[in-house]
Amino acid sequence: MISLSSYLIVSFALFLCGIVVIIARKNIIAMLLGMELILNAGALNFAAYTRFVNQNLDGHVMSLFIIIIAAAEAAVGLAIVIRFFQIKESIHIDDAVELQS
Amino acid sequence: MNYTVSSIAPIVLLPFFAFVINAFLARKGGKATVAAVFLACAAIAGSSIYAIRIFNDFVFGNYSADYNIHKIFTWFDLNGGGQTFTVNMGVYIDNMTAVMLLMVTVVATMIHIFSTWYMHHDMNYGRNGRFFVYMSLFTSAMLGLVLSDNLFSLFIFWELMGFCSYSLIGHYYEKEKTGDANVKAFMTTRIGDVFFLLGIVAIWNQIGSVAYVDIYRAIAEGIFTNVDNNVMGVSLAAFSGVCIFLGTIGKSAQFPLNVWLPDAMNGPTPCSALIHAATMVAAGVYLSLRIYPILEAGHLTYFVAVIGGITALGAATIALVQTDFKAVLAFSTISQLGYMVLGVGVGSYNAAFMHLITHAIFKACLFLAAGSVIHGIHLQEMPRMGGLKNKMKFTWIAMWCCTLAIAGVPFFSGFVSKDRILGDALVMATYNAKWWIPTILGFAGAFLTAFYMCRMMFLAFHGTPRDQEAYDHCHEEKLSWNRNIPLLFLSVFTLGVWFAGSLTGQGFVKLGSKDGKYEWFKTLIQKPKVEKFVDYQRQPWGSTDIKSTQTFPTAKYDNTYGLSEEAAHHVHVVHYWGAGLSVIIAFSGIFLAFLMYIKGSVNPGWWVNSFNKYYRTLQNGYFMDHLYIKGFIQKGLLPFNNLLARFDMGVYDRYGVDGWAGVTKYIMGVAKWFDNLFVDQIMVDGTGASVKVFNVILRTIQSGKIQFYIIIIVLVLLGYVLAL
Amino acid sequence: MFLDTMFLLSALATLGGALMVVMSKNLMHACMYLLLSLFGVAGLYATLGADFLAATQLVVYAGGVVILMLFAIMLTGGVEEFVNKFGINKIPSMGTTKTYTIGAIVSLIFSFVILKTLSPLFKNYSQADLPPMESTVEDIGVLLVTDHALAFEISSVLLLGALIGAAVISRPRKINGGSK
Repeated sequence: MISLSSYLIVSFALFLCGIVVIIARKNIIAMLLGMELILNAGALNFAAYTRFVNQNLDGHVMSLFIIIIAAAEAAVGLAIVIRFFQIKESIHIDDAVELQS
Repeated sequence: MNYTVSSIAPIVLLPFFAFVINAFLARKGGKATVAAVFLACAAIAGSSIYAIRIFNDFVFGNYSADYNIHKIFTWFDLNGGGQTFTVNMGVYIDNMTAVMLLMVTVVATMIHIFSTWYMHHDMNYGRNGRFFVYMSLFTSAMLGLVLSDNLFSLFIFWELMGFCSYSLIGHYYEKEKTGDANVKAFMTTRIGDVFFLLGIVAIWNQIGSVAYVDIYRAIAEGIFTNVDNNVMGVSLAAFSGVCIFLGTIGKSAQFPLNVWLPDAMNGPTPCSALIHAATMVAAGVYLSLRIYPILEAGHLTYFVAVIGGITALGAATIALVQTDFKAVLAFSTISQLGYMVLGVGVGSYNAAFMHLITHAIFKACLFLAAGSVIHGIHLQEMPRMGGLKNKMKFTWIAMWCCTLAIAGVPFFSGFVSKDRILGDALVMATYNAKWWIPTILGFAGAFLTAFYMCRMMFLAFHGTPRDQEAYDHCHEEKLSWNRNIPLLFLSVFTLGVWFAGSLTGQGFVKLGSKDGKYEWFKTLIQKPKVEKFVDYQRQPWGSTDIKSTQTFPTAKYDNTYGLSEEAAHHVHVVHYWGAGLSVIIAFSGIFLAFLMYIKGSVNPGWWVNSFNKYYRTLQNGYFMDHLYIKGFIQKGLLPFNNLLARFDMGVYDRYGVDGWAGVTKYIMGVAKWFDNLFVDQIMVDGTGASVKVFNVILRTIQSGKIQFYIIIIVLVLLGYVLAL
Repeated sequence: MFLDTMFLLSALATLGGALMVVMSKNLMHACMYLLLSLFGVAGLYATLGADFLAATQLVVYAGGVVILMLFAIMLTGGVEEFVNKFGINKIPSMGTTKTYTIGAIVSLIFSFVILKTLSPLFKNYSQADLPPMESTVEDIGVLLVTDHALAFEISSVLLLGALIGAAVISRPRKINGGSK
């Protein structure tokens, strides 16, 4: 009953949710949450293809690296957010306009 | 003796380095200036030591007429494309160079020493030692000229001396007269220099080198007289000979271009001594001696002799009536230079050169003595002098020695050299009647020389003081070494025995000289034998000198001048006549001066009044300055100049420059229209407008909002996919 | 059957959590729903036989990232201003209907793009002929130190850099001058 397509559909839905979050929200942390969703969708695809197509565990290793990178990105991103908040007293994405003009 | 860089180069380089150092050191004033003056004197003295070494080697060591040292190095090399163009510089030393080096360095040393006394009060050694700076360069240039082995480097030093004489004559720059005098000296010699350069170019064009040895070889091979090499219808020898001799005329103040030398006495007296004796004017005669084979090959000797004779007599007549102390000496210099050129013309090669040397010594001494007198009495007008012998004993003695020498009294050097020139002229006259003209000119000049020099002496030193006030203010001569030693040292060498090896110069007595050194001057200085240079081998620097590889026969005094016995006898007889005539003429000149100015039995005033017109002519130097200014410059050059100016303004400016401006204006109008319409309105403004349009679009995209970027990414992806 | 049930539950948790992340008006709540979604993804990993991945997912995300997010949310809380420095009304930080509409349109476009480009490549694989699931920990360990050793090392350096960078960036400093 469950097949590759069912995992891909879940992954795809997850990805679209991430996209919507990133576009619709103006809060930087909320956008980071959307990023996590997108990364998870990608990692899930790797695992699904490993299971159903070639079974050689390389996909698992890739997923592992994605998780690692997501963790690092979350750490640095949140540090930037905190720093930004210290300076601007805000985490609104439209306040980060120093480089714009 | 080994001739290497270190034994030859210091002769030139010591004064030159003194010049370079003093140029910065001397102007500091105070002790620095004293040090600079000392350095200048030490440099020229050191240079004279090197010159004495060379002289010693040539005259006491080797003693051969053929001995020479020729060292060359490549100055620059432009070979390429099958063309050979190598310019060599080098050093050529033969007996003449060795004697010349000794004379220049020793006389210059004496003048330097005298200058330390003379220029001491002129603003701290001559405008803070500026005088000595130029003196060093002047001497250095002269020594370089003497050592040069080719006409081109000789010309370089020649011009350098022209510049130095310009600077030294204009030493008292605050006087308008000196400013005119130095420009006059510079420009007048320039006329000759232009022709000199033309002659050099003509020679270079034909034989590809201007080294003396190459010129001599080319003469021996007949290149100079070959019809194929004619320049402007005359043979190369005649053309280049005239051109180079015009350089001599300018530099040695011969007849048409003699006007600068009397004005040159506006400089300080020691610089006059240097110019009139050792360096400047001597260079011209030295050059004409070097190119003597060209003059001979071009059949120019008669022309040269006539120029010399005219100069000798003309300047002597002018000197008769001058009242300025230094002016008499200046015109006597011109006159004596005329004798040298006459000597070159009549083929009396060694006598002309000997007269150059002897004249350098006694004229330097005369000018230094004149400086001593002027410095003492503070005026130059002879009619206000008189009786100075009581106040200036040493100057009086030195000046009498020189006066007797220049007058041609036996036992003095002037007799030895000048008499030999006149004797040779007389020999030429006996062969060919046309030579009587320069001969008579020469003898007449000799008579006048004796007269005007003794007139000067009697007026200045003898008799009673005519201006008692000036006499009383005249300083008593004190015994100061840097004033009297140069005078006495130079006056010792006015004796003829140094040059002839005998007292009379005619070979009557062999006084203290061995047979080998008898008549050394005549034995060593001989006309260049051009055949000798046909297979001449050059020596680059660093090789050993020719003495170690080749032995020359020791030169012997040839009593027959290399002629047949009959001809030699004839020459001897004529020489005896000539010598006798010279002596008679000299003493009659002195006697006439004695009658006029001591005894008073002949009243000079009567002569002046009777021949006032001629007197004024002579006083103004035959109105040559007047002629040049009124005649050549105002009648010839100025109208020509105006014509050229009118052509320049009327034709070239109006139609050339202004016409071209009109064309440019029209083109500019077209260009302006094009520029406004196409470049400005369409291209420049169009660029701006397009940038403006795209700016609106891109500014909207570049909002800085991340989410908007994501939307755009998605939209572009959509477009991409749809396009596929 | 058990796998099917597990898959459905996990997918439900995942998509439900993700939707609540999208919809929630409270950031703290959104973070909690993200945690739920991540748990669901871990369950999906489990149904795929990726036991090590599922464990890592739980440990890293639930134990690390989400806690970090929570702290960041708590550290940056405050009164939200609705007017920027130019005096223009700001979009509220949690979004409005308009932004959600735009997001929905964009996601639809994106789904269209992806389906259009990737569906021709799609080939379905069924559950039927799969090998039984085994423990993957040992094999992944071997792979990490053999085939993927370089990536492994680089990722360790990356983590170190992220650690130091995060510490340096968020270090409190004086705002006006005097910064070291």
